[in-house]
Amino acid sequence: MADKAKIREFILEVAQGRGIESVNDDESLTENGIIDSLSIFRLVSFLEDNFGIRISDEEIVNENFQSVNSIESFVAEKQSKKAAVQR
Amino acid sequence: MAYLLQQLLSKSAGKHPDKPAVWARGRSLTYRELEERSNQLAHLLRKHGVQKGDRVGIYFPKTVESLVAMFGVLKAGGVYVPLDPQQPAQRIQYIIDNCAIRALVTTRDKLRGLDPAAIRSVQFSVFIDGANGEATSQGISWAELANFSSSAPPEDLQPTTLDLAYILYTSGSTGRPKGVMLSHQNALTFIEWCAEIFQIQPEDRLSSHAPLHFDLSVFDVYNAIEAGATVYMVPDDALLFPATLAKFIAEKEISVWYSVPSALVHLILHGNLKAQNLERVRLMLFAGEIFPIKYLRQLAEMLPSVELYNLYGPTETNVCTYYRVDRAQLPNMEKIPIGRACGNTEVFAVDEQQRLIQPGQTGELYVRGPSVTNGYWGDPEKTHKMVVPNYFQTHYEEKMYRTGDLVVLREDGDYDFIGRRDNQIKSRGYRIELGEIETALLSHPGVKEVAVVAIPDEEVSNRIKAVVAAHEGATLTAAHLQQHCAQRVPKYMIPDVIEFRETLPKTSTGKLDRVLMAASR
Repeated sequence: MADKAKIREFILEVAQGRGIESVNDDESLTENGIIDSLSIFRLVSFLEDNFGIRISDEEIVNENFQSVNSIESFVAEKQSKKAAVQR
Repeated sequence: MAYLLQQLLSKSAGKHPDKPAVWARGRSLTYRELEERSNQLAHLLRKHGVQKGDRVGIYFPKTVESLVAMFGVLKAGGVYVPLDPQQPAQRIQYIIDNCAIRALVTTRDKLRGLDPAAIRSVQFSVFIDGANGEATSQGISWAELANFSSSAPPEDLQPTTLDLAYILYTSGSTGRPKGVMLSHQNALTFIEWCAEIFQIQPEDRLSSHAPLHFDLSVFDVYNAIEAGATVYMVPDDALLFPATLAKFIAEKEISVWYSVPSALVHLILHGNLKAQNLERVRLMLFAGEIFPIKYLRQLAEMLPSVELYNLYGPTETNVCTYYRVDRAQLPNMEKIPIGRACGNTEVFAVDEQQRLIQPGQTGELYVRGPSVTNGYWGDPEKTHKMVVPNYFQTHYEEKMYRTGDLVVLREDGDYDFIGRRDNQIKSRGYRIELGEIETALLSHPGVKEVAVVAIPDEEVSNRIKAVVAAHEGATLTAAHLQQHCAQRVPKYMIPDVIEFRETLPKTSTGKLDRVLMAASR
C-alpha cells in the first residue's frame, strides 16, 4: 500500500500542476488531462526510479496508465515478475 | 475550379460517392453520407435562423460529425468557429461572446458545462449525441436532420470566395484570445497549392493529428476532401502514447502525416517504430515550431523513403513558406530552414529602417497574397498593427501581414527562423502569448507582480515558468495559482514552474529582467 500512496502523491502533484485539486484512484488520468504527452514520461521515470522496474515503450499504453489503480496493478505485476525471475 | 470550400466536397462526392471520406473512433462516413448530412444540417441551421455570415461554434471532441458540422455551417453560409472541448469554460465563453456565436453544434454534456448567462448570443444548439426526441427548448437533436433535404445545399445565398469560412482563436498578448478571420479564398490558396505540390491522390490516407482550432487541421481535412482521399482522426490514446500512435499509423496505413515536430519527436523516442510496418507512409509534413535537427536526422534514418517537408506560417497566413528536407544535406545542417514562399504567396523581410534585407542579414518577415487574413474579429486596432499597408506598393492600396518573426535570408534564398520580436512563444507547437498567462495570474487578488518566461526545451520547444511577487499578507502556493490559471487558460499555457520572489528583478532601465528570470532556477 505504501507504493500506492507514493504513486497517488506523484499523480496529485502533476494534477495540481494542471490545476486539478484531487484525483480518485479509479478516475481516468488521460481524459481529464493529468497525463499528457509531457507528464507521461515524467511518470514513467518516476516509476522506474522508485520501484526498481524497467518500462518498455510498448508498455506505455492506455491500459497500464489509465488511473492510479491501473498504474498500481501494472507496477505490482512488473515487480512480481521481476521477483519470480530473481528466484 | 472551386471558389468555396464546400465545393471541394460536392465535387469529390460526385466522383467517389461510396469511398470513405472520414474515419474517427471506429466509425466512418462515405463521401455521399458526408455530402448529404452536411446539406441537411445546412437546411436545419437556416430554418432555425442562421443567416449568411453568422458564426456557429463547433464544440465537441473530434469525430466524424466534426466534418458534417464544418461543411454544414459553410453550406448554410455561416462561419464556423472550432471551440476546443478541453479548454476552460471561461475562455470558451469569452470566445462565444467575442464573435457573437449564434448557434452551437455540440453535445449535451459540453453545453451543460457553460454558463447560460455568459453565452446569451447563442440562440439554439444542435446536439450530435443522445437519443431521439430528447429535444429541449434550446436543443435540437441530430435525428432532426432526417427532416431536411439531403440532395442539395441551400441555394439562395450568393456566396463569394471572399466570405469568411472560419475563425481560429489564438493566444492574445493583452490577456484575451483573438479570432483570426479566414476566408474561403485564404484557405483555398493554401489547399490548392498543397494539392499540386504534394499530389494528394484518392488512394492516400491522411492523418488528422492537430485539433480543429489549430490551423494544421486545415490541410488534413480539406486536402483529403479535395483529393477524394480519406482523413483518419488520430484517437485520443494515440495522441498520448507514442507506441499506440505508431500502431495506428501502421494499421490504418496512413500515407500522409502532418503534425507539430514535438509529436514526431515523441514518436521517434518512444514509438518503437522499428516494430511497425510504416511502408505506406510517403509524406510527412511538420509545422508550428522548430524541428530539432538531431531528431530530424533520426526520423529521416528511420523512414528512409519518406519525403519530409517543413512548413511555416502563422495562422494569419495559414502556411506561407516551405522547405523540402534534402537528405543529402541533413548530416551537415545545423538547423532546418523555413524555406521559401509557397505558390501564390510572396514573402520578404525588412530591417528596422524598413529596407529589404540582403542575404546574411536579419529582418522581420512579411507576407502578401491571397492567403493573408483580413484581421482579427472585432479588433480593428490589433488588425491595423499586424495587417499593414504594403509600403512597397506605391500605386494603389494593398495589405500585407507582418509576422513578428525574425528571420535570416540565406545565400541560397531560403529563410531561417531565428526568433520573435515580442513575447510570443511556442510550446508543443501551440502559439502562446506570455502576456495572456501574466494577465491570468494578475487577476488573482494575491498577486502583486508577475513575469512569465519561457525555458527552452529540446523536446517541446519551451516550458513555461512564472515568477510571482505576492501582495503583503497573501499566502500563495504554486498549486493554488496553477489552479487559478486552469480556469482561465488552456492546459498547455499553465506554468510548469511557479517561483516566488519578494520583488521581481529589473534591468537598469526598470524593465522586468526576463533573461535573468529565465536563467535562474
